[in-house]
Amino acid sequence: MAKKTYDLLFKLLLIGDSGVGKTCILFRFSDDAFTTTFISTIGIDFKIKTVELRGKKIKLQIWDTAGQERFHTITTSYYRGAMGIMLVYDITNEKSFENIVKWLRNIDEHANEDVEKMILGNKCDMTDKRIVSKDRGEMIAREHSIRFMETSAKANINIERAFSELAEAILDKTAGKEPGDPIDRVMVDRRQQSNTTKSCCN
Amino acid sequence: MPNCSENYESEISDGKNIRSITCKFCNSVILTPTSASFTSFEFQLPLMRQSKTNEQNPESEAVSLFWSVGDMFTFQNVGFSNTVGNNKYLTCADCEAGPIGYHDIPSKISYVALTRVLHC
Ligand SMILES: Nc1nc2c(ncn2[C@@H]2O[C@H](COP(=O)(O)OP(=O)(O)O)[C@@H](O)[C@H]2O)c(=O)[nH]1
Ligand SMILES: [Mg+2]
Repeated sequence: MAKKTYDLLFKLLLIGDSGVGKTCILFRFSDDAFTTTFISTIGIDFKIKTVELRGKKIKLQIWDTAGQERFHTITTSYYRGAMGIMLVYDITNEKSFENIVKWLRNIDEHANEDVEKMILGNKCDMTDKRIVSKDRGEMIAREHSIRFMETSAKANINIERAFSELAEAILDKTAGKEPGDPIDRVMVDRRQQSNTTKSCCN
Repeated sequence: MPNCSENYESEISDGKNIRSITCKFCNSVILTPTSASFTSFEFQLPLMRQSKTNEQNPESEAVSLFWSVGDMFTFQNVGFSNTVGNNKYLTCADCEAGPIGYHDIPSKISYVALTRVLHC
């Protein structure tokens, strides 16, 4: 077959209570005509996106749950092979925030031990309905040594950035593990690199 | 922008795509040059726009010119729909316009319809 056109492949998952916005994070809000199409009726299973980080071409395969989270039946098969997990709560929903701890336990139980996690406080566009402060989000993330970001799928805030930060964190992990991989040599200015990848806002 | 259904031969060299394949609506890059192979056969592909009244019976059209991709990770950016029969439909990863083609699950081959994308 054709030559491999990428350096690394990362499988990423979206996890969290029902209604927090996981599907919208993957399947963008489109207010235009597309929302009435065939595709929105059947739904999207996963996306493949290519990002370039520190000179490496990285394929992200991003999966949404098919609604299994409603029945708390997310098990090993969904987590299989996952290298990164976006753990999402809704800043207007206290319960979804409290359940982050439950999801973390579920991840510990079923996912690969060294899976890279990131907590997202979604719907940050809904300032008037906010119940969970950004401080509380940051605190729980710090407690578990996980990255944190507030996002809005609706206003397209921090979505792309979140994915490229998660990818970078995975890259950091895998870099040390590949024998003979010369990646250490190019550990220049992480921040700057990530900003050059298509960022949605700010 | 060129309309490929009229002059698609000029997009092919050695059976591969000469130029990048992008979304018609948002310019997201779907495939890079020379990463897909031209193939021709007939397939009923659902229309991109459907009337809301017949969601049960989506309208399709016969499409016959495709770029075929054997490894799904060859795509730069693409979305895969949930499974319908033996297929998953392909969409733009950024604006979700689609179907721009389909993925055949048994053979694992993906087909992008020339008439539903741009070449630039
Ligand atoms: N205001 C606002 N609403 C959102 C946002 N993300 C999702 N929603 C809404 O929240 C609801 C649940 O979203 P969905 O993606 O289906 O959640 P899921 O169950 O986690 O997949 C839908 O009505 C969305 O329109 C956001 O960032 N801002
Ligand atoms: Mg969902």
